[in-house]
Amino acid sequence: MDTETTRSLTEVLTSIIEKKVNQETCQWLLDKAAQSADKNNNYQLNLTFTSIPRHTGKEEIVLEEPDEKKINSLLPGFTVEGWTVDRLCRVWLLMQLDSSDKEAYINRIENLFPQAEMNELVALYSALPVLTYPEAWRLRCAEGIRSNIGIVLDAIMYHNPFPAKYLDEGAWNQLVLKAFFTDKNMNYIEGLDERSNQHLANTLFDYVEERWAAGRTTSPQIWRLTGKYMDGSHFYMLDKLMNEGNETNQQAGALALSDCSFEKAATVLDQYPDLKTAIEQRKLTWQML
Amino acid sequence: MCCSNEEHAGMEAEKLTAADLEVIKGMHFFDPHIHMVSRTTDDYQAMADAGVVAVIEPAFWLGQPRTGVDSFRDYYSSLIGWERFRASQFGIKHYCTIGLNSREANNEKLAEQVMEILPLFVYKEGVVGVGEIGFDDQTPAEEKYYRLQLELAKEAHLPVQIHTPHRDKKKGTQRSMDIAIEQGLDPYSVIVDHNNEETVKEVLDRGFWAAFTIYPFTKMGNERMVEMVKQYGTERIMINSAADWGISDPLAVPKTAALMKIRGIEIKDIELVCYRNAITAFGQSGQILESDFQEVKNIDQSKKFQGNTVLRGGQAPRINKGSLIIS
Repeated sequence: MDTETTRSLTEVLTSIIEKKVNQETCQWLLDKAAQSADKNNNYQLNLTFTSIPRHTGKEEIVLEEPDEKKINSLLPGFTVEGWTVDRLCRVWLLMQLDSSDKEAYINRIENLFPQAEMNELVALYSALPVLTYPEAWRLRCAEGIRSNIGIVLDAIMYHNPFPAKYLDEGAWNQLVLKAFFTDKNMNYIEGLDERSNQHLANTLFDYVEERWAAGRTTSPQIWRLTGKYMDGSHFYMLDKLMNEGNETNQQAGALALSDCSFEKAATVLDQYPDLKTAIEQRKLTWQML
Repeated sequence: MCCSNEEHAGMEAEKLTAADLEVIKGMHFFDPHIHMVSRTTDDYQAMADAGVVAVIEPAFWLGQPRTGVDSFRDYYSSLIGWERFRASQFGIKHYCTIGLNSREANNEKLAEQVMEILPLFVYKEGVVGVGEIGFDDQTPAEEKYYRLQLELAKEAHLPVQIHTPHRDKKKGTQRSMDIAIEQGLDPYSVIVDHNNEETVKEVLDRGFWAAFTIYPFTKMGNERMVEMVKQYGTERIMINSAADWGISDPLAVPKTAALMKIRGIEIKDIELVCYRNAITAFGQSGQILESDFQEVKNIDQSKKFQGNTVLRGGQAPRINKGSLIIS
């Protein structure tokens, strides 16, 4: 984020924090943030970052509508709704570090990762979209996707605009695959549709065949990312969904057919006029599945 | 921690029946010493089913020595990261104590480096003490790092979890307490672990907490434990399993509670020894909130996010262990 946006977002977040913690804690946070900002004061940064929950508690944030709108206009796709207050304060703290010396700034934040506790990791990965020098955090984000800690994955995948904007195709595809493998809610992943691609679709085709061979089910959201990339050798999958699938699978199949430019698709969809109409009238969308 | 399983001949392969634990159904247990990194998900499931709601995992050795400081760093990280998450999947709140164990204190070159990274971990959320530290062979190096870590605990206002040695136990226990007092620690902030009939009296008389490890063949058996409670009461006494990579029992706390119940010990006393006293002792860290025990149960399943139920982190799906079919 640029300096101006960072400043405005910090203001909004500060006002949310002020409503959530008592005056004493608020003053403690402001003092510690000022001390931690200095690039030579790693001791204070480490100590403050770690000890935040002891001061703030862990109550959950429920955003008021004006705040939610402001946040979304400053950083589309980002929200702090449902965060615990300590997570918000940790991210807020990182936003105030002096970033003028690029190398020092990056090192200070990177140094928080190796011995981070589980909730610290959540805060660190949640902070990626609000940090300066976004290109410097690509590998860190890709590394986070390799985590097996559910709440860490949530922090990277859900309502986080960083991955879609900055990850290369390989890392992005890993994020999406990992989300399917760990049963994530695909509707919370920012940029999911925009970043669909042929390579991802090919991998998902293989994945579906593997699941079906094992007699297992697949997420209906897979068809959201493959409809556009259907070809002759995989179209049978949509036929199978329409003929043998349950209601959700049929709905997903119909949506995929409507996304699909493959000529047979329109003919097949015509056989399901109710689903076709629902899609045209936007009464059936991917977000509902 | 335990280290030898020399004598397990005569082990009976009797199976615990559900009825045995029925007498303590609905009770909650706290196991303040268990090495979950060495245990399976089956253990977590069985512990949750038996009423274990929270555990403390002391840092210990891995059964063989580590050769570099990064192995320690990664191990400590796993105690506050992956293992904590694994426990949460089964609705169990996981705390830990952080320290350099006595065996590895004998590798002085490495011990120096480990001492340098300890402050990075002892202030973390959910770190409820410095432990398990103390004596093994009772060498000068062990004493040196034991003292240094007592200082660290004092500075961080954390309780201390003391491992007492297997060999020359009585003298080792006395010496551990002498040194803790010399270093200026309040005995009420020190939990002396792995007690037996020979050590417990002095530990209690000097104002320390006395923990008993119910561990087959090498430490306390739970019938002896019942007698201990009958003799010494419940003040500053707690039990744990110290289950690890040796032949040990992660259900030692609920099983002992059941035995106490069957042998006529009152529920309120069982609750103190198997739950409350551990919270009082380690709660001096300021890091234990009983409401969190419930929170960890809810965290994955029921919370609403923007009107939708979210699998936060994913509760572990339950598998049917009784079925031949694995799907």
